Amino acid sequence: MNELERLNDNSGHQSVSKPSGPLTSLEVYDKYGAMAYGIILQIVPQPNLAQEVLVNVFSSPLLQSCNSYPFTFAVCVIKLARAKAVEAKRKLMTIGTVSAEHTNNSHESTPELIFDLAFRQGFSPEEVAEKLHISKSEVLKAFHEFFKSFPHS
Amino acid sequence: MNTKEFIESGILESYVLGLATEEEQHEVNQRVLTSSGFADYLVDFEKNINGYFLQNAVPPPPAVRELIQLRTAKTDIQKAGAHTYYDIPVDTEKKDDFLDIEVNDTYIKVHKWWRPAFIAVFVLSKIFLIAGLYYYFKASSQQEEIDKLKTEILSRQQ
Repeated sequence: MNELERLNDNSGHQSVSKPSGPLTSLEVYDKYGAMAYGIILQIVPQPNLAQEVLVNVFSSPLLQSCNSYPFTFAVCVIKLARAKAVEAKRKLMTIGTVSAEHTNNSHESTPELIFDLAFRQGFSPEEVAEKLHISKSEVLKAFHEFFKSFPHS
Repeated sequence: MNTKEFIESGILESYVLGLATEEEQHEVNQRVLTSSGFADYLVDFEKNINGYFLQNAVPPPPAVRELIQLRTAKTDIQKAGAHTYYDIPVDTEKKDDFLDIEVNDTYIKVHKWWRPAFIAVFVLSKIFLIAGLYYYFKASSQQEEIDKLKTEILSRQQ
């Protein structure tokens, strides 16, 4: 039994969209491909590169060995898509120039800005805290505030 | 830290975004297993976070799916190759021998022996054609010769 099967067979906590049977990479793609592509495009706006990253995400062995228990595949896909997109973005450009733009243009450490720096620009919470001259716990709290501001679907 | 404080700390969000440290990841996993209130919150949280990312979803081009299909099929074959015979379950063993792939090109592949067979058939057909023509013209010239001799004999008899 592989990790995907184990993840799906888990009879403990019931997640939102936990599937009833084991899923293949293609089934996960059919379900979350558009969401992953949207995430990748937010980080890497070039469609050709974004499509290459998308293929890497869904053909990656990490998808099979995703041990994001007790979360759903959606969470696993979000993490993986972001990680691969940030990796591709780092290869393309130096993060330093992007950070300078953001810190110079911003006057307020809003949850949107913090989310953008961490999720889209690829900075760690420690780096974001340092750039915005706030503590790491404030950065993490901003993530919570950011998602709290969106209504339930 | 109680459950409410932990939820408001944003550690869960950083975990989901792949930004949490190992210690924070361990803490989240522990909370899920031990706190029922936290597990209940997760259901709403996952709904919320899925909703946010689905709002920004963009349908990828269909070619991407085909590429993923090809790459995952290739990986499966490589994986099967790495196993010993006894590692592979009986029901999946036969499945791995065939790839369910749609090919769009117009070429077909045949066995290599078809090439000399085709050349032999082509050469033989040419030989038979030449031989047929040769004997046809030979027979017609002989017929002319016979007719000529017949007319000569008839003219001598008269």
